Amino acid sequence: MAKISSFFKSFLLLELLKGMAVTGKHFFAHKVTVQYPDEKTPQSFRFRGLHAQRRYPNGEERCIACKLCEAVCPALAIKIEVAEREDGSRRTTQYDIDLTKCIFCGFCEESCPVDAIVETRVFEYHGEKRGDLYYTKPMLLAVGDKHEAQIAKDRAADAKYR
Amino acid sequence: MAEIKNYTMNFGPQHPAAHGVLRLVLELDGEVVERADPHIGLLHRGTEKLAEHKTFLQSVPYMDRLDYVSMMCNEHAYVMAIEKLAGIEVPLRAQYIRVMFDEITRILNHLLWLGASGIDLGAMTMFFYTFREREDLLDVYEAVSGARMHAAYYRPGGVYRDLPDSMAQYAPSKYHNESAVKRMNENRQGSLLDFLEDFCNRFPACVDEYETLLTDNRIWKQRTVGIGVVTPERALAMGFTGPMLRGSGVEWDLRKKQPYEVYDRVDFDIAVGVEGDCYDRYLVRVEEMRQSNRIIKQCIDWLRKNPGPVITENHKFAPPKREAMKQDMEELIHHFKLFTEGFHVPAGEVYSAVEHPKGEFGIYLVSDGANKPYRMKIRAPGFPHLASLNEMTRGHMLADVVAIIGTQDIVFGEIDR
Amino acid sequence: MADDLNKLGESLKQLLADKVVSLESRLGELTLVVSAEGMLEVFQRLRDDEHLRYDQLVDLCGMDYSAYGSVTSEDGRYLRDEEGVNPHSQRFAVVYHLLSVARNSRLRVRVYAQDDAAPMLDSVQGIWSAANWFEREAFDMYGIVFLGHPDLRRLLTDYGFVGNPFRKDFPLSGNVEMHYDPELKRVVYAPVTVEPREITPRVIREENYSRR
Repeated sequence: MAKISSFFKSFLLLELLKGMAVTGKHFFAHKVTVQYPDEKTPQSFRFRGLHAQRRYPNGEERCIACKLCEAVCPALAIKIEVAEREDGSRRTTQYDIDLTKCIFCGFCEESCPVDAIVETRVFEYHGEKRGDLYYTKPMLLAVGDKHEAQIAKDRAADAKYR
Repeated sequence: MAEIKNYTMNFGPQHPAAHGVLRLVLELDGEVVERADPHIGLLHRGTEKLAEHKTFLQSVPYMDRLDYVSMMCNEHAYVMAIEKLAGIEVPLRAQYIRVMFDEITRILNHLLWLGASGIDLGAMTMFFYTFREREDLLDVYEAVSGARMHAAYYRPGGVYRDLPDSMAQYAPSKYHNESAVKRMNENRQGSLLDFLEDFCNRFPACVDEYETLLTDNRIWKQRTVGIGVVTPERALAMGFTGPMLRGSGVEWDLRKKQPYEVYDRVDFDIAVGVEGDCYDRYLVRVEEMRQSNRIIKQCIDWLRKNPGPVITENHKFAPPKREAMKQDMEELIHHFKLFTEGFHVPAGEVYSAVEHPKGEFGIYLVSDGANKPYRMKIRAPGFPHLASLNEMTRGHMLADVVAIIGTQDIVFGEIDR
Repeated sequence: MADDLNKLGESLKQLLADKVVSLESRLGELTLVVSAEGMLEVFQRLRDDEHLRYDQLVDLCGMDYSAYGSVTSEDGRYLRDEEGVNPHSQRFAVVYHLLSVARNSRLRVRVYAQDDAAPMLDSVQGIWSAANWFEREAFDMYGIVFLGHPDLRRLLTDYGFVGNPFRKDFPLSGNVEMHYDPELKRVVYAPVTVEPREITPRVIREENYSRR
């Protein structure tokens, strides 16, 4: 009996039809596709994308050149040179991140005692020739200036967990 | 009479069914494989050597990049080795979070495996369906760590941050209007745990769908039943672990046999195959997804009821809270010390293993008391699996090689390290 | 658990008698050191003995102990001074991790290679097939030769690679680098130009610094 039933099952292509029913059902279901770049998938406030240097509201740069990020960076992507500014404060003269080395682990942000270096939500950046992804201090500050509102909002949302 | 001779063929390193950069030199007698000689190392980055030149903390993100489809499980083995050697206590909540994410990772891995080996054997649709579910889990990854793949979330002594109370939401666009977005955001209203619970409730039906497409399908069965049969004795001798070993009928799962974290407090079963062929290994993996789903549910229940710290309070190993760091001199010193010199691990050696989705992933850590490991050996589960490819494919047809590579669940990040 | 380990240790000592160089139990793990001569016999017994039955070789790991205990480092090179202690008698060793699925027990076995200049050990490939690639890897990375291995080729490094990259005296950024030469229209090798850079040096602090 089992043999006959399995013969008919196999002869009538039952399991294939069942499979087709599944795909057929999905033909009429809501589409899950997200049409990038016109729309984007949701992004967490913890997202780790392009780096930025931040400033205080009065325009003063936050970074105090403590070099913690340089020390903790696993990929040695950060290079910092330090000098004393005219007003006697300790500032970086050079702050470079080589994005081609960076592994986006977020340790720089984690280690920064003054929240100066952060990883933003920006993930759509590119370089067209060699060296374009070597970000210097003015470039990082520019990213920070452009996205400061979003950066500040994300840090505030995450503050209670850190 | 024409002279008949075997010929040698290169399979890969750019073959799409080679699952990465595998160069396979096949000696063929017609279409029958006489000998398979995998040439590996095209993705060798020297992670073990790099780790010797990094502080203990700095190697955590490198663990993600070993088996890049089961990121957090790799981290888990590594941080567990450090914890064991240094005697760090991990808070219970962190243990539950780790178990939950290990199981999320297992589902992620098996979904990718199912989709990819489906495509290898002609079941195109599987890939779309499994990636639909993967998307949700990757969102969970992102919500908790900020990265969709290379999480760097586990830390020696716990996990970096607690689970977030909110999920990111879709915004309206020209393709999805307000009401469509409202529907898409329905399960994103609550916390991460709510989102995950919704997923867990939906997921068994999704697995049923996959099974409808494959389990009884005659093409799938013709391609997998009786292919790559491994006896339990050979599976043990060749160093098989995980689903590869269980597919051959050996009941061995580190989560049950040598429980770590809170695996002894959650309820789940392990699936064991009978024949030891590709089909049985497929069934084992599918069942593992269902069991992982069960474990995640139990973890969600526990985590809802028990708030608490997620990383050790011992600030010799884990940095203090940011607020404390900014107010307390001693904490600031801890913070600076940890992020420059790093912590020191007492001299000694330790082997810690986790039940990784692919098998036993082990870290053998030797420390001489410095702030960097003296030697770190990564025991990748895929390594002995691929080593057995010659034995598994011998006598099979060329097309079966694809099925066998698929069933071994090869990922070169861990094999080449 | 600790009792089980003690019991296992005792039975190992009894069974292997004079073959055991040392046996240590730490952190819930047993480490057995055996001498290179007669190691095959020991491994055979570990696998086949009724009470041991280590049916699986989980891992095989090459070791280079030459820099063990070096107090600091500079640009990735290990620096040693008087204080650094190295308890290891030989430079090279192989560490085997065995697992008994039947008895649910693990064992670590370490075998030192006698000759520092030309380290050689017997291959355990005949006892556990899994050793095949593991031994090739150790040969590739450390230059440890496994006698009796059927197919001892390099495994992970490039075709034509020179040196043993995991040895402690091998520089982190290697000796050669490779690029495509548009004039010669082929890939060429040249001495490495990457400057060694190490921001956090390796440090060994006084005993138990990290314990509270």
